[in-house]
Amino acid sequence: MKQTLQLIGEYYILMTRVFQKPDKWRIFWKQYVNEAHKLIIDSIPIVSIISVFIGGVLVIQTANNMDNPFIPKMYIGYMTRECLALEFCSTMVALILAGKIGSNIASEIGSMRITEQIDAMEIMGVNSANYLILPKIVSSVTLSPFLMLLSFFLGLIGGGIIVYTTGLVLPSQYIEGLQFAFKVEYIYYSLTKMAVFGYIITSVSSFYGYYATGGSLGVGRSSTKAIVISSGLILVFNLALTQIML
Amino acid sequence: MITVKNLYKEFDNRYVLEDISLTYNPGQCSLIIGASGSGKTVLLKSIVGLHTPEKGEIWYDDKLFTQMELKQKKELRKEIGMLFQGSALFDFATVEENVMFPMDFFTDWSKEQKLERANFCLKRVNLENANKKMPSELSGGMQKRVGIARAIALNPKYLFCDEPNSGLDPTTSILIDRLIQEITQEYKITTIINTHDMNSVMEIGDKIGFIYKGHKLWEGNNQEILHSDCKELNDFVFASKMAQQLKSYI
Repeated sequence: MKQTLQLIGEYYILMTRVFQKPDKWRIFWKQYVNEAHKLIIDSIPIVSIISVFIGGVLVIQTANNMDNPFIPKMYIGYMTRECLALEFCSTMVALILAGKIGSNIASEIGSMRITEQIDAMEIMGVNSANYLILPKIVSSVTLSPFLMLLSFFLGLIGGGIIVYTTGLVLPSQYIEGLQFAFKVEYIYYSLTKMAVFGYIITSVSSFYGYYATGGSLGVGRSSTKAIVISSGLILVFNLALTQIML
Repeated sequence: MITVKNLYKEFDNRYVLEDISLTYNPGQCSLIIGASGSGKTVLLKSIVGLHTPEKGEIWYDDKLFTQMELKQKKELRKEIGMLFQGSALFDFATVEENVMFPMDFFTDWSKEQKLERANFCLKRVNLENANKKMPSELSGGMQKRVGIARAIALNPKYLFCDEPNSGLDPTTSILIDRLIQEITQEYKITTIINTHDMNSVMEIGDKIGFIYKGHKLWEGNNQEILHSDCKELNDFVFASKMAQQLKSYI
């Protein structure tokens, strides 16, 4: 318990250093673009592949569980859309990102810590937490919702591919299902979740990287902790946000 | 000038530095020597503010560093350069970008002016034509040179070097030592070097402080060190058989 409180305290102190006005905005925006490339654009391929396959799998699973002739087939499209919009495209993508960019951030910052690069910045008078972490958080919070949207569209396309290739349901019924009872609030809900998850992944991973100790083994440990803790927090916040927003 | 008065530093309720008092003058290479684990790195990091001492005072000229607010420390740090044991070059940046890094933050110079200054610093450490290389492409000695170039980029008043020749061959070590000495004298910098390399001690030790188990046991220069009657110092300086034989000739 004491250890948990200490961790929360250290996290809070780090975040107070992170959320300060950057020394130079020009440097901040340059870092923002770099991080957007590294964290978001580089994640597009993995998110795309997974989304297309999950969309396809959702169509097959839903079709298999809807053998009741009284339920219209168009509900396969409807269910696929709802699953993707409500849960998969935010929570599942966030968990994937926690593994991919969480370990990347923790090992990058952790390596800088153990090779004294962070100390070098501090000696120069540079707020290392602000310089290294703020652009990551801002790019992740502002741009990861676009990954959610991309994942949503690609998931629907993946489902569509299965519909066209297997004939489980008529394409017109699938499209009708996609359009049925569409609630734009669900998309806002999912975008909000994704922005929150983006913050959790980047801030938690940066925290574990920033306080990494014990050489390369320590960096490995901090990467693992970053993934485990941010994944756990994603699940907890998913529950909390769902309770609050739906 | 840097003055350390009655400095205490502890980790996990165990003192690693006790009652350390030292004075470092501009234009001189002042060395902190001692065996591994004696507390010399903790002392250096306490002086630059990477560790917060439990008790004692650290003065940079007439400014009391230990009582400064974070903002004041940040201002002072623009006058500090530091060379780290492993060079601590930013591996995401080229040699040129590493040297320009402090300029990017603390000057309003144009890119051409920054480049000119970076080239001057790199030339000063005898490292030309390496501007576009990444740190991983450089040898240990070259990395140290880039580290020195970055440390002097903003004309510091104070220079700190943590084990500047660790991992280097004796010839390169002496080159790095001489380079630090030249820069110190040329720009009248207050330089503090943390080392356990006896070649450095004899080569550039204008002033030497010997740390033993967290205490300052001896203070002097490279002429006096060979004639000291401090047993712990003699055990450290004349640790090898060859050195012991040499001592019999002194």
